[in-house]
Amino acid sequence: MTIALAVSPTRMELLKLKQRVGLAQKGHDLLKEKMDALVIEFFEVLRRIQEARMKAFDQLSVAHRALSMGFAVVGTLETKQASKETKRELQVEISTRHIMGIAVPAVEVGEVERSALVRGYGLHMTSSVLDEASREFERALKLLIELAELEASAFAIVRELEKTKRRVNALEYILIPRLREALKFIMMRLDEMERENFTRLKRIKAMMEKRE
Amino acid sequence: MSADRLIKFELSKLNVHLPERRLSLKEALSSAKPQVVSRDGSVHTFKREELEFLAGLLPEADRDKLQVPILIALEPKLGRGTARISGEAEVKVVSQVLEKELTAVELLIYRPEVAILRRKLPTTTQYLFLW
Repeated sequence: MTIALAVSPTRMELLKLKQRVGLAQKGHDLLKEKMDALVIEFFEVLRRIQEARMKAFDQLSVAHRALSMGFAVVGTLETKQASKETKRELQVEISTRHIMGIAVPAVEVGEVERSALVRGYGLHMTSSVLDEASREFERALKLLIELAELEASAFAIVRELEKTKRRVNALEYILIPRLREALKFIMMRLDEMERENFTRLKRIKAMMEKRE
Repeated sequence: MSADRLIKFELSKLNVHLPERRLSLKEALSSAKPQVVSRDGSVHTFKREELEFLAGLLPEADRDKLQVPILIALEPKLGRGTARISGEAEVKVVSQVLEKELTAVELLIYRPEVAILRRKLPTTTQYLFLW
């Protein structure tokens, strides 16, 4: 309201304000379109996260079952010993890809599954059941990396969505109403000035007619 | 920064993800690493399986007419959630993906269809904001 009354009621100001309202409205409409597009992207990523999570959990349960078998067949101490002997270096390449200008991580992982010979534990002290458990956990690891990539994408999209929503709301509930208020004030003031002018002229005319 | 400048800045950022030059499907298929450079300098890579899927929808002669990424133009004057697909080959492909009847050289699609299109073609489609 204060802003609305702070403008000078001139035709020039009216034209400027009309342009500003047009720009703000255009910005609002486009940002709203962007917000809708982001929501579509977000739900798509969410759907893929659900799928990836299901797959990862299923794989983890298979892996845990295989590990339990390993404990039963090889023995707990031997399995723990084998796990301590295992060495792992995983090549993970993290780059970024862009969804509508939002940088989301793209994780490329090398071959996660490997042969029993390169895992690092002694083969003569362990059983093939343990190899199978290791293989199942390696498969689960790959799925977990994919899941992490998707979750990071979802977070990035949500952050952008939040930012866009804040801007849309600022335009919709603050800037555009204030500009419209100022526009209304100038139009009313100009109408009022026109009416004053008209009355003044009418009065002058009446006075002149009276004098004649 | 004044509100107007902020709005102009926001509007100028809306289409920075678009490529400087689009590739024809034929070019993309023949490239070892099918990708385009966006206006913000980032690289957008197409998935080969998507390109092959698109190639399967078009006769061989039309493959150099289809430009990828296919642009989903969002225009507020069309109404909220309405998008426009332009170009003969693009319309042909999108109509087939969405199982819609082929009409003119321009196709209007709506928000649920945009979601389906983005799901089926995540790397070979991009949003374009028009005003």
